[in-house]
Amino acid sequence: MEHDHHKDKTNENKTINKNNTVPFAEDNFTHNIKQLQERKLDRRGFMKTLVGAAGVFAVSTLPWGALAMRELSRDGEKQYAEKEIVKLDDVKVGEAVQFTYPSEHHTALLIRTGEQDVVAYQNACTHLLCPVFWDKGKEKLVCPCHHGFFDVTTGQPTAGPPQRPLPQITLTVKQGTVYATGVKRYET
Amino acid sequence: MTKSVLYLELDNCIGCRSCLAACTQCGGHDEKYRNYVVDVNPLVDTQTMPLMCLHCVNPACARSCPAQAIQIHETGAVLSARVEKCIGCQNCTIACPYGIPKFDVEQNLMYKCDLCIERTQHDIPPMCASVCPTNTLQWLTKEQLAMKKEQNVLDNGKWIASSDHYLENETNVHISLPGILQKKQKLF
Repeated sequence: MEHDHHKDKTNENKTINKNNTVPFAEDNFTHNIKQLQERKLDRRGFMKTLVGAAGVFAVSTLPWGALAMRELSRDGEKQYAEKEIVKLDDVKVGEAVQFTYPSEHHTALLIRTGEQDVVAYQNACTHLLCPVFWDKGKEKLVCPCHHGFFDVTTGQPTAGPPQRPLPQITLTVKQGTVYATGVKRYET
Repeated sequence: MTKSVLYLELDNCIGCRSCLAACTQCGGHDEKYRNYVVDVNPLVDTQTMPLMCLHCVNPACARSCPAQAIQIHETGAVLSARVEKCIGCQNCTIACPYGIPKFDVEQNLMYKCDLCIERTQHDIPPMCASVCPTNTLQWLTKEQLAMKKEQNVLDNGKWIASSDHYLENETNVHISLPGILQKKQKLF
């Protein structure tokens, strides 16, 4: 009996292999039964992360939509500070001067198209924000980057890549001095 | 690992089935009992014994699970199937040599003893051990278990009543074999 007992023990030791090692080494993707070693990101977790991230991105766009709604539902025009630009006599008919409005980062052009007619536009091209200049000979606003042309009386694009008009700056002339009073909102 | 282990003295069982009633009351057991009391010799004598999950170190049920729904807790307890993982294939009910995993057809879910993991992970005895009136199910510290094993080493040097190796090799639940092997009559 004792002999058999020992024999069993030695057999047991001999037959230890990958499949009956205790504890069974199962740290792999396809068969892991230890709760502590559970995959942080298994297939299901990966899909959940994917869908969850899409949801987070979708929800995170909502504030921008709200801002746009607020901007569009505003009743009147935005209030701008009045700013003196230039004396009318300092600009010859057909000439342009550069200024900034409403802030110093928004460059703008004022063009005197007639004795009493002045127009002004913010001169960042509506295509890729290149500075637009006044071409006196062609009587057009020209963007040099991609040959965009704008009509001087309305600011509408006439040729080239730009699709939207230049933002027009409203002006008033008081006692021979031109003041900027606001920027017209873009209307589709 | 918890400080204590479950220890079974099978020959103490009087078949009162308190352990089953207690098991149904454990949180998360859905009012189903997960251990069983069987007749050792039906129609011959009245000896009964509890049939418990032994929480194998290398559990056949977890190894047979294609979805890794049965996980081994850090305390060594082999948990019931994870609801979100179990696919209801019933492999485990066939794989277990003791027939412990049972299948809930309505929920399409396997359930088995999880050693009342919410209790035992804090070193509180499982429901069954806490109600057993005859100390068949005992929740012992490691020192107490060593003492029990020492008692069960017989004079002849051959039989060790408390073995760590049963059908499925090493287990986290320990058993003393019935007193008939110990050649001594027990007085409860």
